[in-house]
Amino acid sequence: MKNKLITYLAAFIFLILLNFFLPRLMPGDPLLAIYGQEAALTLSEEMKKELISEMGLDRPLPVQFGLYLTALLHGDLGVSYSLNASVWSVVGRTLPWTLLLVGSALILSTFLGIILGIESGWHKGVKRDRWILFLVIGVSGLPNFIMAVILLLVFGVQLGWFPLGGALTPYSGWTGIQLVGDVARHLVLPVTALTLAQLSETVLLTRSSMLGSLDSLYIRTAVGKGLKKYRIKYGHAGRNSLLPVTARLGVSAGRAIAGALFVEVVFAYPGMGSLTHHALLSRDYPLLQGIFLVMALTIVLANILADRLAFRLDPRLRED
Amino acid sequence: MSRRYSLSIVQQKESVVGIGLGIFLLMLFSVGPTLLSFDPGATSLTIFSPPSGMHWLGTNDVGQDIFSRLLTGGRSSLIVALGVGIISTLLAVTLGSWAAMAGRWADKLIMRTVDILLVIPNIIIIILITSYFRPSLALEIIIISFLGWLEGARVVRMQILTLKERAHIYAAKLFGASQFYVFYRHLLPQLFPLMLFLLLQGMRRAVFIEAGLAFIGVVDPDVISWGSMISNALKFYYLEVWAWWLLPTVGMLSLSLLAVTLIGYGLEEQSSRSGGKKINAADS
Repeated sequence: MKNKLITYLAAFIFLILLNFFLPRLMPGDPLLAIYGQEAALTLSEEMKKELISEMGLDRPLPVQFGLYLTALLHGDLGVSYSLNASVWSVVGRTLPWTLLLVGSALILSTFLGIILGIESGWHKGVKRDRWILFLVIGVSGLPNFIMAVILLLVFGVQLGWFPLGGALTPYSGWTGIQLVGDVARHLVLPVTALTLAQLSETVLLTRSSMLGSLDSLYIRTAVGKGLKKYRIKYGHAGRNSLLPVTARLGVSAGRAIAGALFVEVVFAYPGMGSLTHHALLSRDYPLLQGIFLVMALTIVLANILADRLAFRLDPRLRED
Repeated sequence: MSRRYSLSIVQQKESVVGIGLGIFLLMLFSVGPTLLSFDPGATSLTIFSPPSGMHWLGTNDVGQDIFSRLLTGGRSSLIVALGVGIISTLLAVTLGSWAAMAGRWADKLIMRTVDILLVIPNIIIIILITSYFRPSLALEIIIISFLGWLEGARVVRMQILTLKERAHIYAAKLFGASQFYVFYRHLLPQLFPLMLFLLLQGMRRAVFIEAGLAFIGVVDPDVISWGSMISNALKFYYLEVWAWWLLPTVGMLSLSLLAVTLIGYGLEEQSSRSGGKKINAADS
């Protein structure tokens, strides 16, 4: 547990170091690299001077790093010049949408993945198993944004069942249940794309641990006791197969957040993925760095939460 | 051992389909672009032209021939896939076996690095780095490979640790074989099936990432890639051009990934069926 925390901390520090050193080691004027060419060109001489002294760009690297860390610890992520707002406020506005999207996809893919994995493992080698594997591997073998494009073309453009993009119908003035319905309708396609992309890992993991469980003696005992099939399947073997899935939940969360980067762009979903896209196109580096820092923090927190959950569910983890 | 292995993989139905598809695509993307009658980068005044005898898949918003771009994009994917596949497999084998053979601090250092670098999804770090460089294909290969060996190194290390305990390794050591000789003569040959698997895994990952980076627009805009084709075509989804612009690109990308996935799947099935230790690398 402690070991893992150190690993997470190190990963976060690695990202901070990357954020700090990448622009400063680029050839040319560091101010241009930190703020991006376009933004830096519009700065007046006085503002440039002020920024240089604020970040200590005329002083040695260790001093700069100290100033950088101090700013970070105060929650100062800098200013986004393309949006004319503080990075923190912009990221804070988009974060809830991404969390909604990623959270829904994670819950769905875990739930569906476990059921499919249990079914597939129970019926190992039979037609049903082969079909599940074929579909899951085939579908999840595609990049998530390809999945998103296909869903958009079929259910958005051709059939017109779902909105083509965004998270809300603009200026609808809806409140209460209508608003919730509207948000849900916009959420369907992006969540489906992300869920399908996440699914295979959970299915394969549950399936293989299911195969392991089915060989054990307690299952034979359960069969011998004459328990009903579904109780053995879900109550005995299935329940035990949850543990590896829980243990990897943190990794899945990280992957889903990274997946949202692409899926959001396809559906113009107003979360951190679309914001990243905007930052990349306008070369708004402070914004990009801020987004990735918040993302990394979210991922690390998700990992810690998942570890705690696995720790509670599996007494064997507590013994080491 | 590796010879018998390479023969037996062909018995797997999935591998046969995958290998056939793979060879077809390999030919198409390596030879195809040289036979084209259009320069894939050249713009013209005939924009949004539907498929015709001249432009097999029509033209895009700036009058470029879509078919030429499709094949050239395939070549970009192929180059990145092979480059990343080979470099990251070599890195994985070198670092993984070094950790397993040396043990102690080298083992700790390498495995700790792997743990740390795997916490934040690689694609995030890759986007961050590429955003400063807007890389060409060669640089892109290096950046993706730099993070592409992590899971592979873990698997290689585990494999070597298991193999090291076999009797014939003890025998070789007893006869005075050096660490390096044992590794080179006895362990490395047994890693070949795993290396093939890692190569496929790396290629698949590379196609994913290359398309993804081009899709969100962080690579050199002069590089013709399926990812950027898809993101451009997506802007015009309300026109009917998607049928010969977006769809073939999505199809080609899916088909390429399918080929690699099928070969890998067949390989894994074969190895678990022949009673060997199941190759178990986490899917990227």
